[in-house]
Amino acid sequence: MNAGRWSSRWRSLRHRTAQTILAIAAIGAAVALPVVLLSVGGGVFSHELSSIEESGFSISIDSAASHGISNAHALTKEIDAISGVQAASPMLSVPVDLFPPGGSVVPVLAEGVIPAAFLETQSAAERSLLPSSLSLGDPDDTIHYDNGTYAGPSSAQLLLSTPLLQTLDLTSGTVVGLSPSTNASAGSAFTIVGSFGLPPGLLGPSPLFVALLPLSQLQSLVGLAHSPTGTLLDSADSIQIAMVPSLAASPSGVQRVASEVQGLVPYYSVTSLTQQTTEIEGAEAIITGFYVGLSSIGLIVGLLFLVIILLRRVEQERQSIGIRRAIGVPGWMVARDIVAEALGLTLGGVCVGVAGGILTVELLARYTSGTISDIASLAVFDPAELVLLAIALVGLALLASFLPVRRALRLSLPEVLR
Amino acid sequence: MTTPSGATIRLEQARRLYHAGQPDEVRALDGVDLTISPGEYLSIEGPSGSGKTTLLNLLGLLDVPTQGRVLWQGAPVERLPERERTRLRRTGIGFIFQRFYLLPTLTALENVELPLQARGLAGAARRRRAQALLAQVGLSDREGSFPHQLSGGEEQRVAIARALANSPQLLLADEPTGELDSVRARQVLDLLEEAHRSTGAAVVVVTHNPTVAARAARHLTMRDGRIVTDSGGR
Repeated sequence: MNAGRWSSRWRSLRHRTAQTILAIAAIGAAVALPVVLLSVGGGVFSHELSSIEESGFSISIDSAASHGISNAHALTKEIDAISGVQAASPMLSVPVDLFPPGGSVVPVLAEGVIPAAFLETQSAAERSLLPSSLSLGDPDDTIHYDNGTYAGPSSAQLLLSTPLLQTLDLTSGTVVGLSPSTNASAGSAFTIVGSFGLPPGLLGPSPLFVALLPLSQLQSLVGLAHSPTGTLLDSADSIQIAMVPSLAASPSGVQRVASEVQGLVPYYSVTSLTQQTTEIEGAEAIITGFYVGLSSIGLIVGLLFLVIILLRRVEQERQSIGIRRAIGVPGWMVARDIVAEALGLTLGGVCVGVAGGILTVELLARYTSGTISDIASLAVFDPAELVLLAIALVGLALLASFLPVRRALRLSLPEVLR
Repeated sequence: MTTPSGATIRLEQARRLYHAGQPDEVRALDGVDLTISPGEYLSIEGPSGSGKTTLLNLLGLLDVPTQGRVLWQGAPVERLPERERTRLRRTGIGFIFQRFYLLPTLTALENVELPLQARGLAGAARRRRAQALLAQVGLSDREGSFPHQLSGGEEQRVAIARALANSPQLLLADEPTGELDSVRARQVLDLLEEAHRSTGAAVVVVTHNPTVAARAARHLTMRDGRIVTDSGGR
C-alpha cells in the first residue's frame, strides 16, 4: 500500500512539473507578443523620428495632385528670399524609360532637381552618397529654364544610381536616351556624368533604378514645362526648404518661416518637420495603444491559464493545505505560498517571454528578407518598457491568485482530513 | 449550565447536523455534553458513523457545532472566526491522524518545524526545538528523511513530535495506530503515554481498538451521535 501511495505521489509530482512547464510556456507566449510588437513598432517609429531629426530640410510643400506645384522655379526664388531660408529645392519624380546603347529599354525613376539647392537640402548622410558637387551643367538650373521659356541650351547631363549603372554595365561619358514612353524618338539623349548611392529604404525596398537630372530638363522631357496650350506649368511634386543653421533647431523659427511660406502658397500643404514629428508621435501613441490592447488579450489568456493551474493545484494539494491549516498555520501563510507560486510562474513566464520575444525578433531580422527583415532589424528593446511589462504582469499575477487563495482558505477542514 | 473551572475544553449540548433541514439531513452529533479536564487521558470508542470523528473535529476546533456551545478554557469559541480558531489550534491543540498526514515535500525535521514556524519561532530556536522533539520520539537519525523514506511507525512518531511542538494543552489522536502493526502500535501508544505524562496535556484518543482504549483512564462510548457510556472520568 505504501508503494502505491508513493508511486501516486511521484505521478502527481510529474504532473505538477508538466503544469509548471505549461503555465510558464503560456505566460511566456503571452509576454513574447507584446515584446515583439512593442519593440518592432517602437523601433520603426524611432527610426522615422530620427530620420526626420537628421533630415536636411525643415519644411516641405506638397500638393495633393500629382505634379501639382506650378511655377516651381519662380516659387523657389520667392521662398529663397524669405529670411531664415537657406535653400528651397523643388523636386519632380516621373517614371520614364531609359535607352542604353544596344537597344534595350529600362524603366527608371527620373528625379528632376535644381542641383545646388538639392545638395543643400540633403542630410549629411544623404550628401555622402552624392558627388561633392552635382555636376549637371548649370547648378541653379536657370540657363535652360530661361525665365520660363525653356529656350536656353540644355546640358543634357544626368547622374545614375549605382545599382542601375552596374546592372547595365554603363560608365561615365556614355550617352543614353530618356523618353516618357517606350518610343525612344519621343525622348532626348543625355550623357552620364556620374553616379550616386541610394539611402537605405525605411520600410521595404526603395527604387534601385534612379536617374537624377536638372528639373527643367525633366519638365521639358515629360511635358511638364508647358501645357499643350503653351501655358507655363513649371511643375514639381514638392519643395523642400532648408533653414539657416541658427534657425534649424528652433521650432518657433521653423514655424514662423512655415507660416510665411503658407502665406505665399495658401493652396498647397506646408508642413514643418516639427509638425510631422508631432503627427508621428501621435500615430505612435495610437499604434502602441493598439499593440497594448492586442497584447492584453494574450496576457489575459495567459493569466486565465495561470488561474486554472493554481486552482488545480489547490485542488490537488487540498489535503496538504488542510493539514497546515489544522495544525495552526495562519491563512496568510497559506495565501503567501499561493501568491509566491503565482509570482514564480509569472516571473518564469516573463523571463521566457522576454527571451523568446528578443530571439523571435533577432531570427526575423536575420533569417527573413524584405520588409519583415527590414522592420525587425529596426526593433528597439526598451528596458523601461520591459520592466513596466514585468510589473504589470506581477500585478496581474497577484490578481490571478485571488481566486485560488480564496478557494484554499475556504476548504472545509473536516472534509479534507476525512 | 456552568463551566467547571479549569476545564480544558467543554461541549454543551453540541449538535452537528449535515444537510440541515433537507430530506437527507444527517445528525452526526446529537446534543453532546462533555468536559475534558487538564491531564485527562480519554478514549472514545464506537462503531463507524457513531459520531466519534465529528466529536473530535469539534474538540479540535476544526469544525463548529450547528447548535450548542464549545468552551475552550472557559471561553466560548463556537462563533469565533476561522482566524481565531486557527490561532487556538496553533497554540493549544496537537493533532495525530490515522494516516499521519505528514507533508510529503518536507523532511521529518521540517514537518516538525512547521507548527513552530507558524507560531513565529525564529530559525535556530525552531530547529533546536524540532531536533529535541525528534530525539524524544527516537528519530534523531531520520531528521533529513522525507516521509516516503520512513516506515509507517516512524511517520506516526514524526506526527507525534509535530503534535507536541507547540506544547499543546489538548492532544487529539484519531485512530493513531490504525495503520500500524501491533509492535509499532505499541511503540506509538507508549510515546503517547509518555507525552501525556511529561507534558500534562489532556489526551483524547478515538479508536476501534480495545487495546488502545484500555490505555486511557476514562472511556467514552458513542452511538448514533450520542455519548452512551462515560466511565472512569474524574
